[in-house]
Amino acid sequence: MKMHDRVGVGWRPELASGILANLDRIDVLEVIAEDYFDDAARLRALKTLARQAPVVVHGVSLGMASTTRVDSKRLDKMARVVNQVEPEAWSEHLSFVRAGDIDIGHLAAPPRTSDIIEATAANLLTAQAAVGSMPQMENIATLIDPPASERDEPAWLGETLACANACLLLDLHNLYANAINFGLDPGDFLARLPAERIHAVHISGGKWIGDASDRRILDDHLHDPPDPVYDLLTELAVKCPNSLTVILERDGDYPPIKHLLAQLDRARSAMARGRAANAGATPSRPSVSERCAALEAAK
Amino acid sequence: MSHNETSALEHFLAKLYVDGDARERFLAAPATEAARAGLSKEQCRALEKIDRVGLEMAARSFGHKRASKEMAATSDLSSWRRVIRAFLRVRIFGVFMRRTQ
Repeated sequence: MKMHDRVGVGWRPELASGILANLDRIDVLEVIAEDYFDDAARLRALKTLARQAPVVVHGVSLGMASTTRVDSKRLDKMARVVNQVEPEAWSEHLSFVRAGDIDIGHLAAPPRTSDIIEATAANLLTAQAAVGSMPQMENIATLIDPPASERDEPAWLGETLACANACLLLDLHNLYANAINFGLDPGDFLARLPAERIHAVHISGGKWIGDASDRRILDDHLHDPPDPVYDLLTELAVKCPNSLTVILERDGDYPPIKHLLAQLDRARSAMARGRAANAGATPSRPSVSERCAALEAAK
Repeated sequence: MSHNETSALEHFLAKLYVDGDARERFLAAPATEAARAGLSKEQCRALEKIDRVGLEMAARSFGHKRASKEMAATSDLSSWRRVIRAFLRVRIFGVFMRRTQ
């Protein structure tokens, strides 16, 4: 079957000029939903943008992997954005962002328990009913292995997606960072995910933090995707039966647009290598596990 | 683990992530603080083995995110002015190119 893989970038005001001038090299744009929740003028601008390029909508505040019920007011706002813009898809994160009166301020990994799996599925059904479609759910990066977890991350992701019958927005840098930080093999992690549920991918970069005795990768979106992320993308393209939409995320330290376009080209090439391998050709590059081992040895 | 127990654990973790004093008390006596918060024995045992380095790193990272969101909220207007300018530049460039063809 002919795959129609695409690449795009996260829409950020700082990148707007470069993106608009290069729409012939960018297949799709991803916008942050919350930027349009409370501003009708912005929402109109987004509708104009969506007429110029395919758009997908990405939420960051619903906190659906939680025993806390998803907030109906936020869902209504998400529904308004999705209904007005009519994106190709919308997505959220497998995370919790608040508990009771405490707002964590960002995406936190919940304990990987059966209760959380069931509660997440319930929240996703609520979201589907409110918005009109099921969100694709993204795996998050975490610096802490969530305590009281009953299973590892690949198992938890697979069970959660199956329970909710949802698709995975696979963030390959989050996968890579978590695997390295908590002693999993990134290639094995990827192999354990349900490839048939993957249609969308994020790539980004990060940096090492901490002292030499316990360093971890922080997914800061301020750096280029490292080599293993592109290798993981190739491996994903080998086994994934779906066309993939890959979004490059960058949230600061913005390089010239040419630099980002080169990363999009690299992502296209990485996928093409995987598709070629799937079609019978031999991949010409070492596996992700081999590359990660080499990087670890070189540290 | 029941739904209520998991919910209590989420709340406890959220507090550890955002409240430096609570985190310090917890790290000094994890089981005691977890029990004081009403967590189950099983959860208290799990929290005794918490990834301490990861907890501090995560809390710091969340703190940075909250601070940068506050900063972003104040500079939001200028960002969107940049977007509008970019739209206008591209439009004007398109009109210019059509006229010169």
